[in-house]
Amino acid sequence: MRPRTRVTLFAAGAAGTAALFTGGTLGLPAFGGSLHPYADRAVHHAVLRGTPNVVSSVNFDQRAFDTLGEELILLSAAIAAVALLRVVRSEDERGGATHRHGPAEVSDALRIVGHLLLPLTLLTGVYIVAHGAQSPGGGFQGGVILGTAIHLLYLAGDYPALQRLRPIPVFESTEAVAAAAFVLLALAAAGASPAGRVPALNTAVGVEVGCALVLLLGKFFEQALLIREHPPAGDPREPA
Amino acid sequence: MILQATVALPVLVAALLAATGRRLPRPAVDVTALATAAAVTALTALTLARAPHRPQVTWLGGWGPGTGVGIPLAADPLAAALACVAAALTLAALAFSWRYFTEIQAVFHALILLFLASMCAFVYTGDLFDAFVFFELMSVVAFALTGYRSEEPATVHGALNFGIVQSLGAYLTLAGIALVYGRTGQLGLAAIGRHLTGTGAHGRPGALITAAFVLICTGYLVKAAAVPFHFWLADAHAVAPTPVCVLFSGVMVELGVYGVARTYWAVFPGLVPLRAVAVLGAAAAILGAVMCVLQHHVKRLLAYSTISHAGLLLVGVAAGTPAALSGTAYYLAGHAGVKGALFLAAGALLNRYQTVDARDLRGRGRVMPVTGAVVLIGALCLAGLPPSGLFAGHSVTEHAVLERGWWWFTPLSIAAGAVTAGAVLRVWLVVWRGMPLRRDPGETGPPEAGAQEGEHEGPETPGILASLPWVMVAPAVALLAAGLAVGLLPGGPVADAAALFADRDAYAALVLDGHLTRPHAPPAEPWTPAGLAGSAVTLLLAVAVAAAGVRRAARTRPAAPAARAPLARAVGAATRRLHELHSGHVGDYAAWLTAGVAVLALLTTRF
Repeated sequence: MRPRTRVTLFAAGAAGTAALFTGGTLGLPAFGGSLHPYADRAVHHAVLRGTPNVVSSVNFDQRAFDTLGEELILLSAAIAAVALLRVVRSEDERGGATHRHGPAEVSDALRIVGHLLLPLTLLTGVYIVAHGAQSPGGGFQGGVILGTAIHLLYLAGDYPALQRLRPIPVFESTEAVAAAAFVLLALAAAGASPAGRVPALNTAVGVEVGCALVLLLGKFFEQALLIREHPPAGDPREPA
Repeated sequence: MILQATVALPVLVAALLAATGRRLPRPAVDVTALATAAAVTALTALTLARAPHRPQVTWLGGWGPGTGVGIPLAADPLAAALACVAAALTLAALAFSWRYFTEIQAVFHALILLFLASMCAFVYTGDLFDAFVFFELMSVVAFALTGYRSEEPATVHGALNFGIVQSLGAYLTLAGIALVYGRTGQLGLAAIGRHLTGTGAHGRPGALITAAFVLICTGYLVKAAAVPFHFWLADAHAVAPTPVCVLFSGVMVELGVYGVARTYWAVFPGLVPLRAVAVLGAAAAILGAVMCVLQHHVKRLLAYSTISHAGLLLVGVAAGTPAALSGTAYYLAGHAGVKGALFLAAGALLNRYQTVDARDLRGRGRVMPVTGAVVLIGALCLAGLPPSGLFAGHSVTEHAVLERGWWWFTPLSIAAGAVTAGAVLRVWLVVWRGMPLRRDPGETGPPEAGAQEGEHEGPETPGILASLPWVMVAPAVALLAAGLAVGLLPGGPVADAAALFADRDAYAALVLDGHLTRPHAPPAEPWTPAGLAGSAVTLLLAVAVAAAGVRRAARTRPAAPAARAPLARAVGAATRRLHELHSGHVGDYAAWLTAGVAVLALLTTRF
C-alpha cells in the first residue's frame, strides 16, 4: 500500500472510530454525578470484612482473580523476554563479540549518592510492600521501587557491581516461585479474613514484580550494553 | 473447586517449570508438562460431563452474587466443551513437541501451560473485565510463543505484527468494557445482561450500547481473524513453531468467535444486530479461501484456510439462533481436530525436509505413508466428509440459517469448504502422489508476488529424525480421528447446550442464582439428505479445485504474456493485488483495523 493510500484509509477509519466512541461516551452518566454503584458496593464490602485499605480489598479479595491474571501477564512477559533475547545473545557471543566494561567515569558525588541511596530506596520499597495493607502502596508499587532501586548502581556508573547484585537465573526462579506462591495463597486463603492474607499476598506480589522488573531491565541492558561487537567510540551511554 | 483447579494447576506447574526447569533433565520436563495437560483434559472432561446435570459455578473468594462484587467462573456445557478442546489440543501439541524439538528449554513448556490456563480461564469466566485480563494473558503468551525462534528476522517480524495488531484490538475492547461499566456499574456478564434487560423495549437502545458492542467485539474479531482484522494470522502462523500453530488455529482463533458469541448472548441479545459480524465473517470465508488456494507454503495455506473456516463460524454465530449455534459447535470441534492434525502433518514435513513449500516437496512424501493418509483424510474432512464434525456443522448450520432466509450461506459454505479442501488436496497430490522434481528451471513458472514466501523455512529442529517416531505420528492420528468422530455426537445434547448458551436469562440464572435451566430444544440433525448432498457437492468441487491446481502447477513454462487469455491476465492481476494487500507492513494492518471498526459501527448502527 502506498503511504498516501494508507494514511487516507487510516484517516477514514479513525474518523469513523472517533464518531463511534464520541457517540458512545455521550450516553454515559454525567460527569461528577453521585451515582457510583460499583464503588459503593466495593467500599461497603471492604468495610464489612474489616480491611483497613479498600484498594487492597478490591485487589486481593474481591477481584483477586484479576490480579492473578495481571501477575501472570507480568510473569509471562518476563519469561518471554528471557526466552526471546537469549538466543540472539548466544549467537552474538559465538560470533566473537568483544565487550569490556568497568566502572564508568562519573563524578565522585554521583557515585557516592548512588551508593548511599541504594539501601534507602530498597528500604522504602520494602516499606511500601509491607505497609500496603494499611496505607496507599502495596505489592505492585513497592515491587516497582524494589526492582528499579538496584539500578541506582548503574546510574552510579558501576555496571559490574549491578551484574554481581542481580544473578539473572536466581531472579528468574524467585519470580516464578513468587507467582506460584501468589496462586497458592489466593486459593488457600479464599474467603478468609483479609487482615491476615493481604500482607502475605502483597509480599508475594512485591517479590514477583520486583524480580520481573529486574529481569526485564537486565535483559534490555544486556542488549544495549553487551551485545555489540565494536562499541562506537565516545558513546556516552557506554561504560568505558 | 474443579473450575479453580483447572486454571490453577497449569499455572502452578508452569511456575514450577520456570523456576527449576533449567536444572531438570529434559524428559522430566516433558513428562511433567504432559501429565499436567492430561490432568487438565480430565478435569475439563469431568466438568463437561457434569455441566448438563449440575450447575458448574464458582464464585471466587466466596463473593457470592448478592454482593455485587467478585468474579464467577461458570461452565455451561458449550464452555466446558471448548475448554476440553483446548486441553486436548495442548496435550497433542506437547506430545508432538517431545521428539520434534531436540533442543528446547523448559520455558517453552511453561509458556504452553500458561497458554492453556489462560484459555480455560477465558472460557470459564463470567466477568467482562476478567475475560479481558485473561484474553491479554493469552495474547502475551501467544506473542512469546510466536517469536520463540527469535534468531530469524521473519519470526520477529511476524510476532511483532501479531503483537501490535492484537494489542490495538485489545485497547478497543477495554474501551468498550469501560463504556458498559460506566452505564451499568456492573462488570459481571450476567449482571450487565440483567441490568440491560428491557433497555431496548422503549425504542432504540442508544449509541452507547452500539459503541460498546462494536468496541468489545473488535478485539475478539481480531483474534477470530475476521476481514479486515485478519492480516496478522498468516504471518504469525508461518513463523510460529508448528505445535504452537495447532493451538493457534485449533482453538485460539475460535476463542475470538466464542468471545463474540458469549458477549452477545449474555449481554446484548436483541439490543444490537449481528449483521456486521455476518458480513465480516462472510468476507473472511471468501478471502481466506482465495488466499489459501494461492499458497504453496503449507503452513501459510493452512493458516488462510483457518481464516476461511473462522469466517464460517462467525456467520454461524451471527445467524443468532440456537440451531445455527449448535451447528457452529459441531463445526468448531471438528475443525479443531482436523486442522490440528493437518498442522502436525506439516510439522512432520518440516522436520524431515526443512521446508514446507509444496513445490520443493514434490513426490517426497512417499516415505511417510501415515502422514500422507492424515493429509488426505484431513483434506476430505475440510470438504465435509461424513461423519466429520465439519460435515455435521455444515449440515446443521445450513438448515438453520435457511430457515432464517439466508439463502447465500449454502453456496458460501460449499465454496469455502471446497476451495480450502481443494488446496490441501492439491498439496497431497503434489507431495504424496507427484513425481519427484526434475530440476528444470522453467517448471516452477514465473516468479510470483508471493515467491518470497516460498523460501526455505529455517529449521525448527537442528537434527533430522531418521524415521517419524510414534509420539509424533500418534497425536496427528488421534486428533484426526477425534475430528472425524465429532459428527457422530448425538444431536440432542448439542442442541440443548446451544439453547442454554443462547439464552440470556438461562445464563443469568446459572451464574447469579446457581439454577440450571433445562432446555428442550429440537435435536440437531446432521444426517439429512440436503446435508449429505451438500457434502457430496463440496467433495466433488474440492477434487476439481485440486486437479486444476495440480495441472496449473505441472504446466511447463506458461505461454508468453501477450498470448494469454484476458481472463488469465485478469486473474493474475487480481492475485498480485491480493498479495500486495497482505504486505506485512504493520502500518497497513493498523489502517485496515481502524477502517474495520468504522465498517462494524456502520453496519451495527440502526439508523
